[in-house]
Amino acid sequence: MKTDVLIIGGGPAGLSAAIETASRGLDVTIVDEASQLGGQLNQQTQVMRQLPSVYEPMRGFELANKLIELIKDCNVRQLLNHRVVGFYADGSVGITDEENVFPVKAKKIIVASGAAEKAVAFPKWTMPGIMTIGAAQTLINRDFVMPGREAVIVGSSDFAMETAIQLMDVGIRVKAIIEKQSGALAKEQEKVSELSRSGIPFYFNSFIKEARGNGQVEQIDVALPDEVITLNVDLVCMDGGRAPILDVFYQLGCSFGFQEELGGWVPQYNNRFQTDREDVFIAGNAAGITTQGPLLLTGMIAGISASEELQAISPAEANEMREALWKELGLLEYREVYSGRVKHLENFASPVLKDQFIS
Amino acid sequence: MDKTTIICRCEEISCEEVEEVISNGGRTFDDVKRITRCGMGPCQAKICTSMVAEIIHQQTGLSPSEIPLPRMRMPLSPIKLETLATNSTSFSTVKSVLDEVELEEGKVR
Ligand SMILES: Cc1cc2nc3c(=O)[nH]c(=O)nc-3n(C[C@H](O)[C@H](O)[C@H](O)COP(=O)(O)OP(=O)(O)OC[C@H]3O[C@@H](n4cnc5c(N)ncnc54)[C@H](O)[C@@H]3O)c2cc1C
Ligand code: FES
Repeated sequence: MKTDVLIIGGGPAGLSAAIETASRGLDVTIVDEASQLGGQLNQQTQVMRQLPSVYEPMRGFELANKLIELIKDCNVRQLLNHRVVGFYADGSVGITDEENVFPVKAKKIIVASGAAEKAVAFPKWTMPGIMTIGAAQTLINRDFVMPGREAVIVGSSDFAMETAIQLMDVGIRVKAIIEKQSGALAKEQEKVSELSRSGIPFYFNSFIKEARGNGQVEQIDVALPDEVITLNVDLVCMDGGRAPILDVFYQLGCSFGFQEELGGWVPQYNNRFQTDREDVFIAGNAAGITTQGPLLLTGMIAGISASEELQAISPAEANEMREALWKELGLLEYREVYSGRVKHLENFASPVLKDQFIS
Repeated sequence: MDKTTIICRCEEISCEEVEEVISNGGRTFDDVKRITRCGMGPCQAKICTSMVAEIIHQQTGLSPSEIPLPRMRMPLSPIKLETLATNSTSFSTVKSVLDEVELEEGKVR
């Protein structure tokens, strides 16, 4: 199979890149291992306010539907339930439909593989009933399954606070929020106050010492600064943060740079969201962990840059649009993430070997 | 976290086993992987990578940017051999692994 642009990952970033490329008449193929486009947006029920100016505020799954509708208008080939498993020697992408493996030759590749959640290890953390916050959110909002009745949350990021609220909305009792730092990490303080107001204790400088249970978590010991308490729970949701999914970039031979603010090791790229493999572009959480508005912007910039290289848009026009989108990115993105991103770009422009990882 | 805490849930590798590799000089994820099988399970290290990096950081004081990424090989996620083999006369997944082995007169060097 041949295509102008192959987009790996059909989450918000991949979809917005698809809109930018396909609407300019390019032949675009999007591949995703899930059975549905939308990526992680599909289980997000909270209202997203900080979106690029072309979108009004809406809930996550509504945004997914909107993006899917937009790409329907421009004829994008969709390979759902398809996985990228590797690459051929000639650079073609190896894709499987679980029956066959076949090559796709693309002029440009945009990788928007998203992020993976990190777990938090403590004794017996692998017991049933202990899962990441994203897993709990997926069970509630996508599968309509109650993951438990009495829960604790480990971590206090925005995502953790959102999940706590969503657990309570479906009638799960949240018994405590356990944070090893000395204060809540969430940037949106209203969510923290909302949870405190509803009487949920926040245990700071604390961690789970051990989980116990017969075949499934029933009890946890929490080490507070000056005592150990025991809580009866059947659900522990842990938030160890998120990190970009890198395997596709590794196989493509891209270089990586370490940038704490973006989530650790991140493929290197320039202000066009182009990696050191010039035919490979990057978008979304894979390019650094951020929030919904900025994710869409990174997909748009990558899409515009790929369109420019395929002469579907003039360099002058592309530059102008990129400049405007970068400006919007600077406005919408949390300051430390944005400055981490700028530093990441600078490190790529003038590489120092010690900050770079070449596979 | 105590010694028995599982770090790699796919291969059931404990914290103690990871620490032992580090005390013997291991400094990267791949060092730990070669000696313990940590990272070689069905998830292909997607869960244990960051936890091993954290232990290396704690035990050796190396900063996270000094702990390299593990090698991520093809196939990127588990796939049936039957699927890999079907119709794939030109596919080089199997070959790519062998590519890393240097042959001399048809034999592994
Ligand atoms: C479980 C979970 C819940 C989340 N909930 C929230 C939340 O409530 N609020 C919030 O602000 N953020 C949340 N996030 C963060 C979320 O990652 C981002 O908000 C956003 O969805 C990321 O967009 P993306 O396009 O970069 O990646 P994704 O939406 O993750 O899309 C990437 C897509 O790439 C596909 N893919 C990856 N590798 C391959 C391959 N080799 N072959 C084929 N397909 C592949 C995946 O199937 C996926 O559909 C959540 C993350 C997770 C993991
Ligand atoms: S957790 Fe280590 S390979 Fe899956």
